[in-house]
Amino acid sequence: MTVREDSAAAAPPTAPSIVGAARRGPRLRQIAARVPDWAALVVVLAVLVVFFSFKTPYFFNTDNFINILIASAVVGIIACPATMLLIAGQFDLSVGGATALVTAVFAESFTHDRPLIVSILLAVGVGAGIGAVNGFLVTVIGINALITTIGTMGVTRAFAFIETNGQAIGFNGFSTLGVSRPLLNIPWMVWIFVVIVLLTTFSMRATTFGRSLYAIGANPAAARLAGIRTRRVIFAGFVLSGLAVGLTGLLVASQTGQGSGNAATGLEFSAITAVVLGGASLAGGRGSIVGTILGVLVIGVVNNGIVLLNIESFWQDVVRGLLLIVAVAVDRLRLRLAAE
Amino acid sequence: MATLLSAHGVRKSFGGVEVLHGVDLDAASGSILALLGENGAGKSTLVKILAGDYVPDAGEIEIGGERYSHLTPISARAAGVRMIHQEFQDAPTLSVAENISLGRLPSRRSLVRWRAVRERAQTVLAQMGVDLDPDAQVGSLRVGERQVVEIARALSDQARVLILDEPTAALSQQEVDRLFDFLRRLRDQGTAIIYITHRLDEVHAISDRVQVLRDGFVATEGETSGFDRAALVEAMIGRAAAGVVRPPARAWELGAEPMLELRGAAAEPAFADVTLRVFPGEVVALYGKLGAGSAEVAEAVFGLRKLTAGTMLVGGEAGAASGPAASIGRGVGFVPADRKREAILPVRPVAENVAASSWRLLARFRLLISRRAEARAYRRWHDALSIRSRNDPLQPVATLSGGNQQKVVLARWLERGSPLLVMSEPTRGVDVGARAELYRSMRELASNGVGILVSTSDYEEVVQVADRALVMARGRIVAELEGDAITTSRLLTEAGG
Repeated sequence: MTVREDSAAAAPPTAPSIVGAARRGPRLRQIAARVPDWAALVVVLAVLVVFFSFKTPYFFNTDNFINILIASAVVGIIACPATMLLIAGQFDLSVGGATALVTAVFAESFTHDRPLIVSILLAVGVGAGIGAVNGFLVTVIGINALITTIGTMGVTRAFAFIETNGQAIGFNGFSTLGVSRPLLNIPWMVWIFVVIVLLTTFSMRATTFGRSLYAIGANPAAARLAGIRTRRVIFAGFVLSGLAVGLTGLLVASQTGQGSGNAATGLEFSAITAVVLGGASLAGGRGSIVGTILGVLVIGVVNNGIVLLNIESFWQDVVRGLLLIVAVAVDRLRLRLAAE
Repeated sequence: MATLLSAHGVRKSFGGVEVLHGVDLDAASGSILALLGENGAGKSTLVKILAGDYVPDAGEIEIGGERYSHLTPISARAAGVRMIHQEFQDAPTLSVAENISLGRLPSRRSLVRWRAVRERAQTVLAQMGVDLDPDAQVGSLRVGERQVVEIARALSDQARVLILDEPTAALSQQEVDRLFDFLRRLRDQGTAIIYITHRLDEVHAISDRVQVLRDGFVATEGETSGFDRAALVEAMIGRAAAGVVRPPARAWELGAEPMLELRGAAAEPAFADVTLRVFPGEVVALYGKLGAGSAEVAEAVFGLRKLTAGTMLVGGEAGAASGPAASIGRGVGFVPADRKREAILPVRPVAENVAASSWRLLARFRLLISRRAEARAYRRWHDALSIRSRNDPLQPVATLSGGNQQKVVLARWLERGSPLLVMSEPTRGVDVGARAELYRSMRELASNGVGILVSTSDYEEVVQVADRALVMARGRIVAELEGDAITTSRLLTEAGG
């Protein structure tokens, strides 16, 4: 069968699904290969929505959906660059601690009467700086990304506590970003989330940078020998993650009106769960922003449902942990099928 | 010679496609059976069934009088069947002795008896007639030695049927000779050996019987002495082939200025005093056995190794390129020896694999790349190189056969338009049919003015593709042959037998 060029161009850049394709005939396999990895997540999401809609009358309405989006925005903004990194076979676990440090630095600066714009630039600069340090350690020194960012995760959170003397530093006059709702009754942070999603989707699908990330994740040695400047690309990935941290730190600070060492705990956990749930492979080379966003929404809906059903919120962590394990197990299974 | 292992009517399908259509195989004790076939002929699948890695859909296996409908890795081992894989299955950080007893360390009350571990290793190594330190760390051994350790492990575990899957792929000639000696000795001690290969010269050198598989059927089988080379090739590819033939003499003009020039180049300790020139329009082979330095020269030309002395000019331009990206910018393309690890992006689509080195050239504003542009790049080379695929630009490259993957890697550099192509072992693990097609493409490229430097340890390859051949031994160029002076015997003699 000949594939016309337009259909090839319209197909998503995710690697074709191998799950379920292995045992079918060639025709079916070609069709199955066109179904993206994240199709199953759409089904999961729909099932969850139907389930919670029947279980509680408070679930299925616009206000609650906006709540879910608000709750998902922070994780989502971090999960986008995390997807880019995981596709290239890299991790950034420092995002939670780094976000806390950004809120602390911002609060400290803002409450010492520095102009708002200076405090904002400082916050974003700290985020990007942490990203650059991670990138330097991984690409120049050559430390494994997992170890590097576990290290910086601890360091950044500790510095956040040091910066705030272990207290939360409250402030007034910076709530617009996190609280006000400019359009369709939807707050800024959700709109920012949408913009980040569009930007990262575009760069993963349509730019040489995105292609390079996929290539590096698929086979770092081959990518280098094909002429891709792998270290530069990975470094850029970490800086993008750091920029997202800077932005997230500002959003969290604005939303909560304080800078605190306790901010954004477990953010790295939620982000990685969403990314892996969304079909990005721990082995690198496959995954998509669309999948990740679906992963973020699944987690958001589950968390929201748990609250609405009056179940203790600790169960959120249980579900999130289980989701991570299930997602990784599915990834393993997929790799095994692909290997056959 | 009693038949020790026999398989009858073995069938196996993957994903609805049958790859073995009722195959018989007999292995006798005290005999070496060469199992020959192109990639995809089904030989790996067949031996994996014998080793218990796969369960056959139909058929029966009989080992030493016991009948099995299928084997498991454990029951195969208990029956005395052991397979030496191409990829080592050893523990590189442990010692030779520990590796030989891997998985069955002698112990008393869960304490390892280290003396017994050493004794067992010494016994089996002595029996095999190899001189290896049982305390050496396996990861520090040379490839050939590691293979010996794997065989030692099998033997010390009472292997009666030894299966070797293309064991010489990474060996030097001396190591091959030693391996053959040693397989003969094992045969004489009564082991049944199944030797998988697609190298014809090895079939006559080592085997007593030969069985040729083609497309999942037994194409032919019998006493090795009853077949000549041409008959085996014909059985493998299903048509008569001319064997090792020289390409027609070059009918086109060489460029005036060398594309690549090395003067007294050295990268100690791999090679020294290498002087060579590659002109646009010619295929120059750098032939040497493993460790002779030819692979390292290729790496240096691509900027993967720093020269410690001498000069290198690419396109008349001096100065060492640092790293692949810079070399590509200077017009050098590189086809690495280890396709799987260094060349392909396995889970990514074929179109991306073709476009990978040219993304910025194919992109708008050097940034915006489309699926459409990649698909066009892929189609440009799909027919020219006769890449056999589903003709779907989004098909993952890992689903192609080795030969077709190699064509995709070649297409990557054609798309890039590199005027100098450096290829290292370009047809390793590529079947005969695809090999001929690759040679044809290389000749055609040269006729279009590309300069090609092929580093290889396969002398047949040199004969079949090179206009000029430089023979390397111990890091130096020891001979230069041109045109019809390039023969297998000359190459072997010059390289030091």
